[in-house]
Amino acid sequence: MHDTIPLSPLIHVVDDDEAVRSSLALLIGTVGLRAQTWPTPEGFLAGFDPEGVGAVVLDVRMPGISGLAVLETLIARGVDMPVIMLTGHGTVDLCRRAFKSGAAEFLEKPVDDDILIDTLQQALRRHVASRARVTADRAARQRYAQLSGREREVLGLIVEGLTNKEIGRALALSPRTVETHRANLFAKLEAASLAQLIRHYACLVEAGGP
Amino acid sequence: MTFVRAHMRWIAGALILCLISSAWLVHAELQRARREFETQAGIVHRVLSLRAVEHEAILATLALLDTPATAEAAHRLPAIYPRIVTVLRTERTQTWAHGTLGMELSRAEASSRSAGRAWGLVSGMEQGRLWLVLAGEAASHALEIDLAGLVTDAEWPFAIDAPVRIDLMHGGHRWRIHSGADEAGGWRFGFNRPLDVRSQPFDVVAERSVGWDELPWAQMLASSAVLIGLMAGAAALAQQRIARRRAEELLRLGQVGRLNAMGELAAGMAHELNQPLTAILANTGAAVRLLRDEPPDTETARTAMEAAAGQARRAADVLGRLRRSVERPGGAERVQVVDLRAAAEAVLHLLEPRLREAGVRVGLEGAGDFRVQADPIALEQIVHNLLTNALQALLRVPATERRLTLRLANDGARASLTVTDSGPGIPAAQRPRVFAPFYTTRAEGLGLGLSLCETLAASMDGQLELLEASGRGAAFRLSLPRVSGQGMRA
Repeated sequence: MHDTIPLSPLIHVVDDDEAVRSSLALLIGTVGLRAQTWPTPEGFLAGFDPEGVGAVVLDVRMPGISGLAVLETLIARGVDMPVIMLTGHGTVDLCRRAFKSGAAEFLEKPVDDDILIDTLQQALRRHVASRARVTADRAARQRYAQLSGREREVLGLIVEGLTNKEIGRALALSPRTVETHRANLFAKLEAASLAQLIRHYACLVEAGGP
Repeated sequence: MTFVRAHMRWIAGALILCLISSAWLVHAELQRARREFETQAGIVHRVLSLRAVEHEAILATLALLDTPATAEAAHRLPAIYPRIVTVLRTERTQTWAHGTLGMELSRAEASSRSAGRAWGLVSGMEQGRLWLVLAGEAASHALEIDLAGLVTDAEWPFAIDAPVRIDLMHGGHRWRIHSGADEAGGWRFGFNRPLDVRSQPFDVVAERSVGWDELPWAQMLASSAVLIGLMAGAAALAQQRIARRRAEELLRLGQVGRLNAMGELAAGMAHELNQPLTAILANTGAAVRLLRDEPPDTETARTAMEAAAGQARRAADVLGRLRRSVERPGGAERVQVVDLRAAAEAVLHLLEPRLREAGVRVGLEGAGDFRVQADPIALEQIVHNLLTNALQALLRVPATERRLTLRLANDGARASLTVTDSGPGIPAAQRPRVFAPFYTTRAEGLGLGLSLCETLAASMDGQLELLEASGRGAAFRLSLPRVSGQGMRA
């Protein structure tokens, strides 16, 4: 497997208070994470990279757009970054609305540094894992697309557990030809073993068909 | 005019009640007058009947004892019976002396003879005269009767000037035998009954008029006055109850309003303080982590700590600003001369329904001059709070043991009000904390009442203290600077 995460994750800190912004950025920096601060929600929505790996630390109460509205915008745009809401005085109602809108976590100010860091790291782990899965799926799909029609037929029968001899009989090919197709297909799909091949491509064969 | 509008309902109610009572009185009076009149008319009818029978008897007697000697005596009859004007006697063979009258008397004699009884001749009624003729064997007799003299003034069963008229009627002719004062308007009662004497076939017609001046004005006036007095009393009572309820409501609203303001304040304070606290926590957290590193990044850690210190100062500023804004502006200017006893009485009056409902025995003790320097509103609030607390405590003991004592005292330069209740008292462990904010022993309490009272008292140069428990219950004493002599009135 290739490392699909190009850089360390980027944490977006959105808060209208300069002191809060910079102190949170400093704290986040101490655990080796990169932080980017945004003084206004509008600036953040316009400037951040939704494709990047990271998380958002969002103040609920800000002038202009409220934190909840920002959260809803992010979800509507399909941004998959985890959003951690921070609030001065959290009510049960506010908390419920935040979670309903898709917040990953809801923390009360002043927040304990350990709790914030732990929350961030857990959210990032889940985010990176889901991103890796998505990336892997995408790569596999691209490689599968390179296969010829005959190779896909052969792959389908391999996945079903047929031997070369049986595949040759089924497709009316000589065992040697089957052997050639099999070698090409392993190369194109960058599979190191039969087990890996089946794990990554069985679902594509079933979905795409021969 | 505003008085009328404000009390429209009560005034209308009083008027209607007065009308009803007056109508009832008038009705009763008219009933009484009618009964009285009917009795009197009945008496008059009986007297007239008696007279008519008497006339027949006189004629019969004359006919029976008809001798020349009695004929002489008959001429003396008018002296005995003033209503008998003339007595005539005629031999059977002779005719009645007078012209037209003689002819009429002859006809009456003939009728009398054929009927076998006395015969009345009513043709003289216009002159107020009645002739009564009885035909006899040898001679006939006739009596001329003065109708006006039938009943003498002394015989009328009512006052001579009473508004009663008595008429005798026959065949459309009417002869008034008594005319009383005739009242225009008002009410009229009538009476009509024939005399049951066939020779004198009259109807006795009586009429009684009741004038306006006969109505029971004095009673009507008196009953109206009583009713208006009662209504005014009821209105005043209702008014008083409304006023008290309003005052209580205002006091309660004031307390709620303060609580709301406090909630707002708390929310604002939370936001204002949360920001620096967040920054402080993040900065110190970062500093700890940086110093834990190998090697420690002391330079960045120091920057973080400096930032944290700056934020701590910011938090302190927030609190300072808050305190300045909450401080009561011009508290000293509202201080004026207030009678501590009157203030205590006013609050007692306000709480009187609740105290009575709880069956609390209330005592207000102490005599003298209790004028103090205080802000009347703050003073009322403190007393109200103390009494409400006491009432709450008293509700936790049996109703028979609920006693509340307010004692006023002068202590040189200060006057004091001590509120003592017979409730469960305050446990020793809680005593030092009763004035602390947000400390309460009641589930629904906020724990700010006594704290606020103490602050209010202090702002008026007064003092609120919890006295050492003597026996059961709790005692709080509020002392305030006295106004000494007359000089400080201004």
